[in-house]
Amino acid sequence: MRKLAWSLVVIVAVAVAGCAQEQKSNGYDPSLKVYRHAMDQAPSSIDPVQASNVYANHVVLNAYDTLYAFKYLARPYEVKPNLAVDFPEISEDLLTYRIKIKEGVHFIDDPAFPGGVGREVVAEDFVYSIKRHFDPKMRGQGAWLWQGRIVDLDEWKARGADYDDPVEGLRAADRYTIEIRLNKPYPQLTFTLTMGYAALVPREAVEKYGLEMSSRPVGSGPFKVVSYDTSKIVFRKNEKFRQEPVDIWYEGYNPETQGFSGVEAIQGRSPPFLDILEIDFIAESAARWNSFTKDNEVQYTGVPNEQVDNILLSKHPVTLKPEYAEKYFMYAGVEAGFVFQAFNLDFPEFGYNEDPERARRNKLLRCAVIKGFDWAKRNESFYSDIGVVFPGIIPPAVPEYDPDLPRWSVERDVDEARQLLAEGGWNADNLPELVYGTTSSVTSRQFFEQFRGWMKKIGYPSEKVKIKQFATFGDISKAWKNSTLPFVAKGWGLDFPDAENTLQLFYGPNGSPGSNDANYRNPEYDRLYEETSVMLPSPERTALYQTMNKMVIDDCVAITGLSRTRIMLWHKDVIAIPDREIVGGFFLKYVDVDRTGKADAGGSGT
Amino acid sequence: MSAVTPDKAAAAPMEQAAPAHRESLWGKAVYKLSRDRMGMIGLGIVLVYLIVAIGVWLGFWATEWGDVEGPKWAPMSAQYPFGTNIIGQDIFQRALYSTKTAFEVGLVVAVLSTIIGALLGALAGFFSGTWIDEIILWIKGVLDSIPFYLFVAAVAFALSGNPYAMHIAMVSTFWTTTGRLVRGEVIKLKNFEFVEAAKAIGVPQLVIIFRHILPNTFHILLVQATIVFVAAIKSEVILSFLGLGVQDGVSWGLMIAESTQEVLAGFFNNFVWASVFLFGLVMAFNMFSDALQDALDPKKVAN
Repeated sequence: MRKLAWSLVVIVAVAVAGCAQEQKSNGYDPSLKVYRHAMDQAPSSIDPVQASNVYANHVVLNAYDTLYAFKYLARPYEVKPNLAVDFPEISEDLLTYRIKIKEGVHFIDDPAFPGGVGREVVAEDFVYSIKRHFDPKMRGQGAWLWQGRIVDLDEWKARGADYDDPVEGLRAADRYTIEIRLNKPYPQLTFTLTMGYAALVPREAVEKYGLEMSSRPVGSGPFKVVSYDTSKIVFRKNEKFRQEPVDIWYEGYNPETQGFSGVEAIQGRSPPFLDILEIDFIAESAARWNSFTKDNEVQYTGVPNEQVDNILLSKHPVTLKPEYAEKYFMYAGVEAGFVFQAFNLDFPEFGYNEDPERARRNKLLRCAVIKGFDWAKRNESFYSDIGVVFPGIIPPAVPEYDPDLPRWSVERDVDEARQLLAEGGWNADNLPELVYGTTSSVTSRQFFEQFRGWMKKIGYPSEKVKIKQFATFGDISKAWKNSTLPFVAKGWGLDFPDAENTLQLFYGPNGSPGSNDANYRNPEYDRLYEETSVMLPSPERTALYQTMNKMVIDDCVAITGLSRTRIMLWHKDVIAIPDREIVGGFFLKYVDVDRTGKADAGGSGT
Repeated sequence: MSAVTPDKAAAAPMEQAAPAHRESLWGKAVYKLSRDRMGMIGLGIVLVYLIVAIGVWLGFWATEWGDVEGPKWAPMSAQYPFGTNIIGQDIFQRALYSTKTAFEVGLVVAVLSTIIGALLGALAGFFSGTWIDEIILWIKGVLDSIPFYLFVAAVAFALSGNPYAMHIAMVSTFWTTTGRLVRGEVIKLKNFEFVEAAKAIGVPQLVIIFRHILPNTFHILLVQATIVFVAAIKSEVILSFLGLGVQDGVSWGLMIAESTQEVLAGFFNNFVWASVFLFGLVMAFNMFSDALQDALDPKKVAN
């Protein structure tokens, strides 16, 4: 009996030790460097032509190469050559771009290539990859970036999208040189070449795998995909990835704000530094938080709203409570994007109306709604009071942001709102029904209820502010695109740090089904947009941007806006600045794991 | 023999008559129900909820359930007896208002599914063994073979945008149990002499079903309606929690859904009070329903 008891004790001890070992190594070989990242959604496709959201972009940028990338640490954000040797050579008329790509870069080994050995990446791959967006069979979503911009590309699509049919404005001048000719100057072109949409895809793989490309990447990026499903994606280091030692000073390293993270440790070494990169897709914020705080699962998380008060010592500036600072690194920064609401001016009840008097009254109604909206309360309720409220549509993340803009449009004044309604002859009986579309999530519903409560306060009857629920974000997006909702509540993440990317949201020709969901059509605004769209960054262009911004504010088109402050936490054994804003998934190749346990004792940055 | 006062003289026959009233099934049931203490407590609580719901409906109270002027997550106080939620809404008013939502859903679903169950069950029972019975049984079989919440969620999802999607989903599944019970009872009743007699004198079949047989299943329908009422309220809470239920308004399910994030932040008022209100009504209704079932059970009543 005694022997049996001892045997059981030994068995249990061995089992527990085994489990502990298993937990410590995250289920991987302990000799490997593993980093487990977390994201709140899974991408529905990881084919570059369908990299339409931040999640897909994150993955695509690690499996594929792009010509340009954003510097890892530079704030404000800066572009740098990636697969390209240098910045483009641009002709004097700003219409022709010549880009040389690096020699000796290879795609990963894959059965799509002869002998299963990845071939060299050449200029023709870029030409092919951009053409894919204009091939209706590919169901690409990135064509808007280059539509009407590149000579003959739209015509190529009209001719039947035959890949052997050359495009006049998009060609490989030689094996390593790309030539792009534009219809008119496009200063943001280089920015577009940093996006997952512009990643280089080998034709052989597309021809072999077809639609399977959406889950089977064949690229030349720092990692190659081992497995992918709706719960996680696992990458392995691409051993053939080009050797390029990191110069953290070139990458924009700031020891004062980033020194705490230990990124100096990667100076002079060639990425990627990880053997295994795993990204877990955990939609539920509570589950993500629990996984992070378990200490043996995901090593990174954005801080959920409901945890902010629990973990922060102060909000201005953002600092962690000592017990969290001891365990985790933190980085807080304003998002490159914003949330806003806009009226759909195609609805004659609120927007453009053939009757000039009604159009005047509609504007007063919109202005009243804007004055009734309480951004400060919205910030407090849903963004932990650390978001940045700003007037207009040029958010703080872009260099053209003007912090001194008058704040009339973001400060609630119930009396003034009531006065505006009275001035327009509006009362509880004649106010039009306002249908507010939301997804069926709790937070979306609370946005609506808060909005309806504020409207009630200015005299808009609650029964006239109605909710229309959509099962998914895709469904409500479709409704916006089809212009079937009079009111649009959404967020916009910047593709690149240039106000053009938000100003285009109100450019007339981009009306539904384009990105101008408000269907704002102001000839002067459109003229200025077209004028600035060919201008290089300059004080003159910034001044014109500001004029356009003011037009949107003065016309009471949108209730805008707020940029959320993101708080990121990561484990102390991870060496990184995991800021996904603008830089996107590029940062993951610079992530390293310190297995010596000598990580900095504490720290955070903003 | 002493003289009796007119009062006593009048009272005597009444006392004797009372047991005579209880001779009928309904009379006995009412008597038995009134003697069931738990059932009466349950009924009392349900009536309190009903008064609250009617008061909300008439606009006597909980008129500011949607106002957002309170502070975020205020604790319980004289001004906010149950505190406030993340957008400053008064949880007390929202909990009261949700009573109306619960009764609306419960009544609509209970009445409609009982009517449908009674009609189809009676038809299936009376025409048992014929193609009419086959079809109704097949429909019931198909609906019953689908996991309940999966089916309700699918219907609610397919009809999303329709404010009555949830009601339609529940009615289309809840009638089957009532239908099955009524069918069995009708098969039994149709062989009784009064039915044979009606047939013999040429009463049309539909008149026999709806005038002579169906009224004799009312005790089943009544009990079943109370059970469906409770099931509908519980399902509404689950569907609203999943975002498939109440669209414009508030319910305990929505309050619990809201609380999922609040609980993580350490604020429990939404969760606790919605749960207490839900528990109270469901518990009371179950107590009443059990008592009613006992009171209307012919075997128990006979004793």
